[in-house]
Amino acid sequence: MKRNLYLLLSLVVSASIILAACGGAVPATEPPAAEPPANESGASAFSGTATITFTQEPDNLNPLYTTMFFSGITRDFWLKALWSFDENNQPVPELAAEIPSAENGGVSADGKTLTIKLREDINWSDGTPITADDFVFTYEMIMSDKNIVQTRYPYEDYVESVEAQDPQTIVVHFKEPFAAWLTNIFSGSPSAGQGVLPKHVLQPVFDAEGTIDNAEWNKAPTVGAGPFVFSEWESGSHIIFKANPNWSTPPKLEQIFIRIVPDDAAQEAAIIAGDTDIGVFLSSDQIEKLEAGGNVKVVAVASGYTEGWYPNVNPETAHPAMLDVNVRKAIALATDRFTIVKDLLDESINPVSASFWDNNPPYNSDLKPYPYDPEEAKRLLDAAGWVDSNGDGTRDKDGVELVLRYITNDRELRKNVQAVVTQQWSLVGIGADLQNYSSDMYFNGYNDNGPQAQGLYDIAEYSDVGSFPDPESSSDWLCDQISSADNPDGLNWQGYCNPKMDELLKEQATTLDTAKRIDFYKQIQQLMYDEVIFIGMWKDPDLWSVNSRLQNVTLSGASPFWNAQEWETAQ
Amino acid sequence: MSTYILRRLGQGIPQLFIISIILFMLMQAFGDPVATLGARTPTKQADKERLRRMLGLDQPAYVQYLTWLVGNDWRKMDLDGDGTPETYGQRRGILRGDWGNSLVTRRPVLEMIGDRLPNTLILMITAEVVIITSSLAIGLYSALRPYSLFDNLITGLSFVGYSMPVFWLALMLMYIFAVNFRRWGLPYLPTVGMFDPEVGKTPAELIKHMILPVTTLAIISIAGYSRFVRSSVLEVLSQDYIRTARAKGVRSFQVVLRHALPNAALPFITLIGLDIPFLLAGAVVTERIFAWPGMGRLFIDHTARADFPVLMGILILISIAVVIFQIITDVIYSFVDPRIRLG
Repeated sequence: MKRNLYLLLSLVVSASIILAACGGAVPATEPPAAEPPANESGASAFSGTATITFTQEPDNLNPLYTTMFFSGITRDFWLKALWSFDENNQPVPELAAEIPSAENGGVSADGKTLTIKLREDINWSDGTPITADDFVFTYEMIMSDKNIVQTRYPYEDYVESVEAQDPQTIVVHFKEPFAAWLTNIFSGSPSAGQGVLPKHVLQPVFDAEGTIDNAEWNKAPTVGAGPFVFSEWESGSHIIFKANPNWSTPPKLEQIFIRIVPDDAAQEAAIIAGDTDIGVFLSSDQIEKLEAGGNVKVVAVASGYTEGWYPNVNPETAHPAMLDVNVRKAIALATDRFTIVKDLLDESINPVSASFWDNNPPYNSDLKPYPYDPEEAKRLLDAAGWVDSNGDGTRDKDGVELVLRYITNDRELRKNVQAVVTQQWSLVGIGADLQNYSSDMYFNGYNDNGPQAQGLYDIAEYSDVGSFPDPESSSDWLCDQISSADNPDGLNWQGYCNPKMDELLKEQATTLDTAKRIDFYKQIQQLMYDEVIFIGMWKDPDLWSVNSRLQNVTLSGASPFWNAQEWETAQ
Repeated sequence: MSTYILRRLGQGIPQLFIISIILFMLMQAFGDPVATLGARTPTKQADKERLRRMLGLDQPAYVQYLTWLVGNDWRKMDLDGDGTPETYGQRRGILRGDWGNSLVTRRPVLEMIGDRLPNTLILMITAEVVIITSSLAIGLYSALRPYSLFDNLITGLSFVGYSMPVFWLALMLMYIFAVNFRRWGLPYLPTVGMFDPEVGKTPAELIKHMILPVTTLAIISIAGYSRFVRSSVLEVLSQDYIRTARAKGVRSFQVVLRHALPNAALPFITLIGLDIPFLLAGAVVTERIFAWPGMGRLFIDHTARADFPVLMGILILISIAVVIFQIITDVIYSFVDPRIRLG
C-alpha cells in the first residue's frame, strides 16, 4: 500500500533529521580540549584541579561591567587588585608594593592624596609590564560616557583625578578625605573593588569601537594578572582558569574549574558526592548532611552581613507608635530572637546581633542585644499609653490600634521568622500586618514604588553590610538622605534624622586614622542602640564547604580566594 | 502544495508580529533590570538612572519595542545625561538581523542562544527519541494485551510517573545513582554538568552525564505518551477494517504493523509536531538541577534578571519554530493520511 510507503518514508526522513541534528550538535560541545596529563609526565610543575560550584553564573568578567559576587570572587584567580584581604580581612599587597599609610607616605597628611607604589616584578600574563598607566586607563574607562559601566562609585563622587606619576606610581586625588579608600580604590573586594584593566588590550578596542562594552576581553579575558589565567568560559556550564607560570608566586594547582550549578539541592548532592571541592551560600540546616561523610568541612566566613530590623521612624509615613523610642525598645524586648535563632538557624553560626556592624570587626560593637523580656515590654507600652482599651487583644491609643506593618522579601526563612514574631508580639498585645515583596521590588527606589523607600512599613527586615571590609554605610541614616517625593534618590528609608548622628557619620567618613574611626563607630552604634534605630536579628556569615581533598584553603570574607596560589590537592 | 505552504507562511508573519507585541507587553511586568544587577546589595540610585538612560530603558515602552524591532541607529541618544541627545544608537533591530544585546552580559542575544542551543538539542533530541520509541513500544504492547498483568502494571507505573514532580524525580535519581551508589561502592553516575574536568570533554563523558537527565525527562513523558498510544491503538483495533483484515486471514503481526499502527499513529504525529519546537526551549527544571547549560537555564537565569532582549529572543525563536513545524506537520499529515487534501 502506498500509504504505508509514505509513512515509512516520513519516518526515515524524520529519523535522519534527528540523527543529523544529533550528529551535528555533538562536536559543538566537544572541541579538542585534550588536557596534558600534567602529573604523570612530570614536565609540568602544576597538578590537580580545584572544582568550585557557583549557584549563579557571572554575567561579565570585566570588573567594570559587573557587581556580581560570583564574578568578583573569580578575580582572586586571574585579576589581582592592588591588594586583597586575608582571612582576618587585613590587606595583603598584591600589585602594590606595600599598603599605603601615613607612615610610608602613601596617605597624605590632609588625607586627600593617595600615592600607591606598584611592584616592579609584576607583568600581565602575556608578559607586558603592569604600570600606572593601566590604572589611569581603568579610571578613564569607568568615567567615560561611552561605556555603560555598572557603577561609578566611588570615582564619580569622591575622586578628583587618577594620575600616573611615573610607571610605578599611581596618585589618586580625592575631593575630600575619603576614609573608605582601602576597600573601594582598585581593591580586591568583590563587591566594591574594581580591579584593573590591561590598557594594551583594551585601548585599541576603545579606539576602534568607541566603547569597550562589547570587547572580546569581557567574556574571554585571556590577558590577566594573577596566579591563574583565563582559559575558557562555556556559557551556563563552566569557567576554567589555568596555572600562570609567569606569576611572581606561581600556583600549585594546574587548573581551577568553576561549574555553574544553579540548584541548591543539586549543589548539595555534588558536594556530598565529592564532585565539587568548594561550594558557597549553604544554609545551616545542610551542615550535618554535608559533613556526614567526613570529607567535607563547612566553614562560616564573616563578610559583614547582619540580618536586622530597620524601624521606620519617619513621622510622615510611620505608625505613630514607632516615633516613640520606648515603643521601639518594647518591640525589641518583646521579640525572642534567641529562640528564633535556635529554632530556625544555627545559634553558634548565627548568634543574635546587637548592631549593624557586629559581623565586621574591628568596627563591631561590644553591645549586648536587648534581652527577651515581655514583662518589661508590656510595662514600657503601658507607660507610653498603648493599652488594650477595647478588649480586642491588641493595644491601642487615641483610637489607633497598635498593628505594625512588618515587611520583608519573599525568602522562606524570613517568612518563617515573620510567623514566629507575630505569635511573640501577640503575647504583649502588638499586632502584625505581614507583607512580602519580590527582592527587586523590595529594594526599589522611591520613584519605582519601593515599599521601603516610600515608607510603607513600620519594621523592615533584611541582611545588609557596608562596603565590606570598610564599615561605610552612612547614607542610610543621614538627614539629607531621607527619601521623599522631593528627594526620590534618598537612601535613608527609615526617615531617621538626628544632628548628632549626622555629625558622627560625616566625621568618620573623612577620618583616615583607623583607631579614631573605630571610636566614632562605637559612638554611632551606641546611639543607634539607645534610639533603637537598628534591631539586630542575627549575624549572617557566608557558609562555604571545602572538601579535604583540597588543602591550604583559607577563605576570607572580603576576597575569598586570596591565597589560591597556595591551594593544592592531597596526594 | 507549494501555494499552500506559501500561504501558510504568509499567515505566519502577521502572527509573529502580534506575538512579539504581546510578549513585549508582558516583558514590562518582569521587573526592573537595573534594580539589583545580580549583586547582593541594591544598585546605587545614581547608577540606576545612568544605566537606564544609557541602556535606553528610560524610553516609553513603544519606543523600546520599535528599537527592538527596527533599531535606533538613526536616532540620537543622551549618553552623558546632559539632556541633549548626542550619540547615535547602535541597534539595528530584529528585522535587520540584530537580535539585541543582553542587558546583563552585554553580549549579542543570538550569540548567547547559539552557545546554548547545541547543548539543549543534544539533551532534548536524545530524550525525545527515547520517549517516542519507548512509548510506542509500551503503548503498542499494552494495547495488544489490554488488561493483562503487564498492561495493568504499566498503567499503574504511568500514573506514578505522570504525577511525580520533575524536580523531585531528578533529585531522587541523583541521590540514588550518583551519591549513594558511590557511597556503597557501586558503579555510579556523575551528579551535575556535562563532563568531569579531570577527564575532559569526551563523548563517553557526555553520555555518562546525559543518562540521568535523559532518564528524568523520559520517565515523566513516557507515562503520558504511552497511554496515548495505547488508547489510540485500542480504538483502531476495534475498527471494522481490522476485523475484516483478520477475517481475511492476514497475520496478526501484519494487521498491527500495516493496518493498525499507521492509523493509530496519526494523532501521535500531531502531538510530536507540537513538541518539536519546544525541544528548542529546553527543559527548565531538569537543566537547572543537573546543571545542564541549555536554553531552559538561559531563560530562567535571565528571567530572574528581567533581561528582556534575551527573553524576547528565545520566545521569538520558539514562536518561529512553532509556526514552521505546524506547517511541516500538516504537510507530513497529508502524506500519511490520503484523506487529507491541502490546498
